[in-house]
Amino acid sequence: MSSRLDVAIAKRLPGFTLDVAWTAGDGVAVLFGPSGAGKTLTLQCLAGLIRPDAGRIVVGGQVLFDAAAGVHLPPQRRRVGYVFQGYALFPHLSVAENVAFGLRHRPRPERERRAAEVIERLGLGGLERRTPRQLSGGQRQRVALGRALAIDPALLLLDEPLSALDAPLRRALRDELRAILNDWGTAAVVVTHDFTEAYRLADRVIVYDRGRVIQEAPREDLLWRPASEAVAQILGIRNLLHGEVVQAMADRIRFRWRGQALEALNSPTHVYLPPPGSPIAFFIRPEYVRLVRKDGAPLDPEHHTNVLSGRVVREADFGTTWTLMIRLDEPGTPAQGDYDLEVEVPRLVYEILRIDLDRHWEVSIHRGSIHVLPA
Amino acid sequence: MSAETLSAIGLSARVAVAATAVNAIVGVPLAYLLARRRFAGRALVDLLVTLPLVLPPTVTGYYLIVVLGRRGWLGAPLYAITGWSVAFTWYAAVIAATVMALPLLVRTARAAIESVDRDLERAAFTLGRPEWRAALEVTLPLARRGILAGLVLAFARALGEFGATLMLAGNIPGRTTTVPLAIYTAVQTGETSEALVLAAALTALSCVVLVLADRLGMRAP
Repeated sequence: MSSRLDVAIAKRLPGFTLDVAWTAGDGVAVLFGPSGAGKTLTLQCLAGLIRPDAGRIVVGGQVLFDAAAGVHLPPQRRRVGYVFQGYALFPHLSVAENVAFGLRHRPRPERERRAAEVIERLGLGGLERRTPRQLSGGQRQRVALGRALAIDPALLLLDEPLSALDAPLRRALRDELRAILNDWGTAAVVVTHDFTEAYRLADRVIVYDRGRVIQEAPREDLLWRPASEAVAQILGIRNLLHGEVVQAMADRIRFRWRGQALEALNSPTHVYLPPPGSPIAFFIRPEYVRLVRKDGAPLDPEHHTNVLSGRVVREADFGTTWTLMIRLDEPGTPAQGDYDLEVEVPRLVYEILRIDLDRHWEVSIHRGSIHVLPA
Repeated sequence: MSAETLSAIGLSARVAVAATAVNAIVGVPLAYLLARRRFAGRALVDLLVTLPLVLPPTVTGYYLIVVLGRRGWLGAPLYAITGWSVAFTWYAAVIAATVMALPLLVRTARAAIESVDRDLERAAFTLGRPEWRAALEVTLPLARRGILAGLVLAFARALGEFGATLMLAGNIPGRTTTVPLAIYTAVQTGETSEALVLAAALTALSCVVLVLADRLGMRAP
């Protein structure tokens, strides 16, 4: 069953306008972005709880909403399962009654069979008579999923499904949720503002910002090729910096930053050719900055394209890795407060190089590890 | 106890029960609409329902006469057609008690309904329930303590209603003289022991009502 999802909607509210268009196929699409970006509003439009002002919503070939044609199926007739933030389980009903709630129109034997099947498959056997209050956070999540999945929905919507839980449980349930979504194979749209959650759950990520979509991509693309500086900011990418273009070519871009000449690969898919002198945003992942060993052979110019030297002004221990804040020797205002570059090294490297004693280092960044961001 | 005292107690009980029943039928849906819907005239409805709570009961009673009396807006046409007027009947006592008790139920029930998480109703919608079914299966069951507390308060108010009842229903022994009116009459005519018995009965009942309302998790507003 194909459950291609086409969404193009606009909704104007006091002080906020939602205007988004995106598509998703089978699997899990994650709406990712800061709070107040319009993610939940989009889910409510998909479920029919809110009527958009304009646009179209099509799920698996069925038109749920079409402003031009005057189509607006009510939530009761959309066959869309909704897992609410905080789950919204009916507190006065048992687990079994919650799961069977959407099956009312079916004959009683079928209703009971279906509810039992869902309860079994989600590992809720034995809890049928409990009320939501008597369940753990993980069990509640599964009851909420079961209640939504029992109606055999064409589309499953999940609003911040893990936000009600504390951190350790959250990690465990994130993986459990992924497994359940894979197992049931129902097309799903998940809302989250947590990037790790988005990355773990998603096949496709749609990045929201202030009521608009700023990027829509398979999840790997998002991590390695954010479409713009705005996306990079929302992803919380570190070492997000600004330089000035010297020369842009089809395969490379040369630019200046903090008095240094740097060279980056141009994106092979969307070549970016700004004129010399224009500002350019770029980022360098801290784990891709290499420290140059002082006891080694001379640098190979092919590999060590961008060499900078500086001093560790601060550091932080993250257990398996250390993060070093390096300030360049170049005089002038550092790019990020009191430092220029954040560098992440494995603990073993930190210990072997005695970084705790030796604070002055040359670092090199391969041109493929500097990512330029189109303006 | 005199026959008139007994009749007052019986009448009061009937009036209070009837007024509470009308309150439940009219007040609960009204509370739901005020809590959940945005409609034209909502603020006006809210104001009209609440007014009897702050107006002197005689003023409320006066307006009831203006509307329902033999020469009232609705009362006059009714009298012209049927030759019957609601004023000074048992029904008038029920109407007066209902109007006076309604704000207590509506305000209490409305607060209880508003405290029900709307996502629960939305969940019911996505699971196929039309709004009225979601209200019956989810919202009202979850607000039931507040609704019951409101009904208890409404019953107590109806039982003790004096001013508006006197205005619309009068004080006709055996027909419209409820317990509070009977107490007034007894005091006026110097029958102090009658007054004491009736006052004690109402006080005891009020205590029961307060304890009941408190048990249901709510205090009088």
